[in-house]
Amino acid sequence: MDVGFIGLGLMGRPMALNLIKAGHRVHAWSRRRESMQPLLDAGAGDCASAAEVARHASITISMVADAPDVEQVTLGADGVADGASPGHIHIDMSTIAPAAAQSIAARLAERGVVALDAPVSGGEPGAIAGTLTIMVGGELEACARVQPLFEAMGKSITRIGEAGAGQVAKACNQIITGVGVASVAEALNFAARSGVDGAKVREALLGGFAYSRILENHGQRMLERNFKPGFKAWMHQKDVRIVMDEAHRLGLALPTAAATMQLFNAMAGSGLGEDDSVALLKLIERMSGGAGE
Amino acid sequence: MNGAGEKHMKIGFIGLGVMGEPMARHLRAAGHDLAVWARRPESAAALVAEGVPLCATPAELAARSEVVITIVTASADVEGLAFGPEGLAAGFAAGRIHVDMSTIAPATARSLAARYAERGIGWVDAPVSGGGQGARDATLAIMAGAEDETLARVRPLFEVLGKRIVHIGPPGAGQVAKACNQMIMVSTIQACAEAVSLASAHGVDVAAVRQALMGGSAGSKVLEVMGAKMVERDFTAGIEARLHHKDFAILMDEAAKLGAPLPVAAQVWQQLNALMGAGWGREDTSSLLRVLER
Repeated sequence: MDVGFIGLGLMGRPMALNLIKAGHRVHAWSRRRESMQPLLDAGAGDCASAAEVARHASITISMVADAPDVEQVTLGADGVADGASPGHIHIDMSTIAPAAAQSIAARLAERGVVALDAPVSGGEPGAIAGTLTIMVGGELEACARVQPLFEAMGKSITRIGEAGAGQVAKACNQIITGVGVASVAEALNFAARSGVDGAKVREALLGGFAYSRILENHGQRMLERNFKPGFKAWMHQKDVRIVMDEAHRLGLALPTAAATMQLFNAMAGSGLGEDDSVALLKLIERMSGGAGE
Repeated sequence: MNGAGEKHMKIGFIGLGVMGEPMARHLRAAGHDLAVWARRPESAAALVAEGVPLCATPAELAARSEVVITIVTASADVEGLAFGPEGLAAGFAAGRIHVDMSTIAPATARSLAARYAERGIGWVDAPVSGGGQGARDATLAIMAGAEDETLARVRPLFEVLGKRIVHIGPPGAGQVAKACNQMIMVSTIQACAEAVSLASAHGVDVAAVRQALMGGSAGSKVLEVMGAKMVERDFTAGIEARLHHKDFAILMDEAAKLGAPLPVAAQVWQQLNALMGAGWGREDTSSLLRVLER
């Protein structure tokens, strides 16, 4: 089918390429012109604005940084709503606050656009391999219509509930992954400073109740001291901040996530924000009197 | 204030709550020409009955005042009063001053100061510490962010309201100091709550513990005031916990933007969230003790 794609960054680009690979006609626009080229080389249609994308395809997808960006490309000048015909479906796959997703969905509905929130987990490797986990919020019927598109980009696709519910699931995902990265970093530093081989510890733990994808993947990268992003620490900081803002609004205690958020703050403040979030290991090393390089 | 050389000023006042009303009365008692505006006119009824003029809009209040003082709840309230429809900015002549004594985000204070400066209007952020008691006794601590000459013009007013007046720095700096104040204060309330909880768990007389600690290195204003409330299990506000909760959202948000880790404050924030979730937002922050007891 014809599908529009807005936002061709680290995640968006491979996701759009997978749509082309699956035989869909992709019409693309990105705020940064240079990020368009790989898509155009693969045969995507070149659009001058989000509105033009929406004129070419009755289903559009956005993958951008934060809620204001989503608002801009959907409801702003030359946004999706400006180009959409009645019955248009817009899928936002960015990670934003559940409350923001609900508000954007309501305002798009007023302009005849059905909105789905469909944030993903799996990082850049998952985006390239087409194995993302996709958490969907929004109308059942619209979800069913866009299912083939989700299947081109991801493996595990779950409709969580109504608008905003996908972002709630993503917030839960970020609590668990954020805290997970911190605990793996602490454990590996603990092992190293106790004079024990972290690689062996990881290998042993993978067979037991401490097994997790984080220990497996992030743990491996920490051992290799491979801090290239991946998923930048400041992005993880942003996501945990969304969670903490929601918790504040709802009157919920998230003591462990709160502690993790402060570690991400410290990463941003000490120049580790552009590294992958596995560079949390460096921060923990520095906090323990090590060099952390 | 009636001493030689002191000038009586035309002052506008907005925000006649637990803090604002006694502050407005002190200014009037010092001989200043006071007028008010109130979102809920009934909150101004007592002062109006005593002859204080009530203006129809913030703009009208600004037009008759040399200085307008606001003390309201949130950043958005102050922005609305300043630059909303019929806001203060629409009424101020050049050279007039907006003194905001609310607790708001430093970034909001800086932005309002810049927008006023374009119109030749002065700005002072002057959040206070000391609570309702400090407002009634005119013993507030006042933390000012302003240009030197602007602060010099309003300092006589501050001297009517408070005891310790410190010029922290340029616009926004007063709010930074207030954020630090809130962080230390509420973290200390949490520490006191944990101490009371620990003493209770041991079956020890918490009143005696508090009394002993007041004489030593753990002595603090919080242990004195909030500690006493915990011992007496009197959780009526004082300062409503929801206001501390609001302040924590501001300071944690700014810390994230700055990349500043605040590990203890982050934990305290979560205890405040739990307090709110338990429905104690309009009671005293010493209710943090009850969060531990759940």
